[in-house]
Amino acid sequence: MKATRFVIISLLIWSLGPLAWQLYTSFCTDQALVTPFASLDQRWTLAHYQSVLLSNPPFIRYLLNSLFAGAISTILTLLLAIPASYSLSKLGKRSALIIKCVLIGCALFPYVLLFLALLEIARYLQLGNNLIALAIPYAALSQPLAVLLLTNAFSDLPPELEDAARVEGLSILERFRWILLPLISPAIASTAILVFLFSWNEYPIALTWISDSDQLTLPVAMARIAGSSIHSVPYGPYAAATVIGSIPLIVLVMVFQKPIVSGLTTGAVKG
Amino acid sequence: MPLTLLLLPSLIFLIAVFALPLIRYVWLSFHADSVMTGLLAIPNQGANWQRFIHDSRYWQDLFQTLRFAFVSVTAEVVLGFIIALILNQPLRKRALIRSSSLIPWALPTTVMALGWRWIFNTPYGPIDRLIQSGLGRPLNALGEPSIAWITTVYADIWKTTPFVALILLAGLQTIPSDLYEAAKLEGAGPWICLRRITVPLLLPYLGLALMFRLAQAFGVFDLVQVMTGGGPASSTESIALYAYWNALRFLDFGYSATIMIGSFVILSSLIVIAWVVISLARNRSAGAFAK
Repeated sequence: MKATRFVIISLLIWSLGPLAWQLYTSFCTDQALVTPFASLDQRWTLAHYQSVLLSNPPFIRYLLNSLFAGAISTILTLLLAIPASYSLSKLGKRSALIIKCVLIGCALFPYVLLFLALLEIARYLQLGNNLIALAIPYAALSQPLAVLLLTNAFSDLPPELEDAARVEGLSILERFRWILLPLISPAIASTAILVFLFSWNEYPIALTWISDSDQLTLPVAMARIAGSSIHSVPYGPYAAATVIGSIPLIVLVMVFQKPIVSGLTTGAVKG
Repeated sequence: MPLTLLLLPSLIFLIAVFALPLIRYVWLSFHADSVMTGLLAIPNQGANWQRFIHDSRYWQDLFQTLRFAFVSVTAEVVLGFIIALILNQPLRKRALIRSSSLIPWALPTTVMALGWRWIFNTPYGPIDRLIQSGLGRPLNALGEPSIAWITTVYADIWKTTPFVALILLAGLQTIPSDLYEAAKLEGAGPWICLRRITVPLLLPYLGLALMFRLAQAFGVFDLVQVMTGGGPASSTESIALYAYWNALRFLDFGYSATIMIGSFVILSSLIVIAWVVISLARNRSAGAFAK
């Protein structure tokens, strides 16, 4: 089909073209960026990567910070959401519906508006500049999505399975460990990866909670490289930073595209 | 009952992060709490709200935020729907299409926001170079107030359209194909099939994509803060960014809280109106489907 192929190719160019341009920029010398058509002694360089990787703190540091904050947030989210969803799936229809509506309302809320009060909480409890503490707002903000996805998974299980296990004398913890968790593991995987993506990318809260340059997460570090002026941004090093910053996510998306899509679409179908 | 107790930790987190801030904002909005008061909250008899109502910069920003949200979300849903319709058939390179659609959505907004600053840079970015060689004058995509907001809309469309297409594609694939075969036997053309089968059955997905995207677009912050900083001449400043400036640049927490709770009220009434309109439309199209 010609139309299909045309759409697929345009979609690829549309999505990946700007990234390709950043990749190209990151290897150009400053001179080549300003005068691309002139004949130059030196067109290609690795200097931008050097300056990004060897800066203080090195760029890898931000990736590690984001990875750490993302991992802690994901674990905390699941610890809260799995029991909550189990209980929600056992609840009466009416109260379950009310709670689900509240969750959808929270999911729809533009959470950026919460930053000021969260900043006050952070000041009050002295949680600033602490990557572990970031997991608290992140886990809370992820609850709506996580609980809705996991509740769907629990509700889809046939109730006879758990009844049989109960008759066999398995305690609730044993039922979780041996029956429930293995059966909903695809939903857990989807949830985990979506929560991780959210935490990795989150900007306004990380921006207000963390000021120490050693503790910055990737999105904040990126914005900080930009500084405040529109005209004096070092575009070469910046392009190198975008490339390095994008690689982990591109790998993640390639590897986990299936659970990501299934999580998003079950969320859309049943949410 | 002990089972309900399992809900508690999750609910406590939700209340702490969603309900408490809103209550705190309502309270703060009736207090002066800024650098002038030594960051102490002093009741000020609704002076914040007086200021809010007469703050032309806020209403300008609200207009800009709504304009940004409606234009970008409409474009994303329409384009996403068209792409999904064309892709809705057995495809060979499914994994590749999925990944490439997810990448713009999954990257941190700030990463590409700075990328766009370079791509739309005047005079060195590729877009400006192209336009300069075509029209003979620079576009100045980020420096011209009447154009800069469209540039931010473009960046938002870039990020989200493939993602919306992916969600709608999943929705399309839940529609049983025998519906189309039956309609074809009855002599229905592709246009009738689209109107009578595809759109009504996809409406829940479309409505959901619309609601979530609108809610996110109303809160646009990362993209604008990094891409334009609200400029030029505040033309791209969103309400979230204005609230942020008030809190962290002007150190006026009372007024920042007023902006946020005021915006919350305005936006939630807009969402309720949108929801009523959507459910009316859904009832009507369900009626058409039954006929």
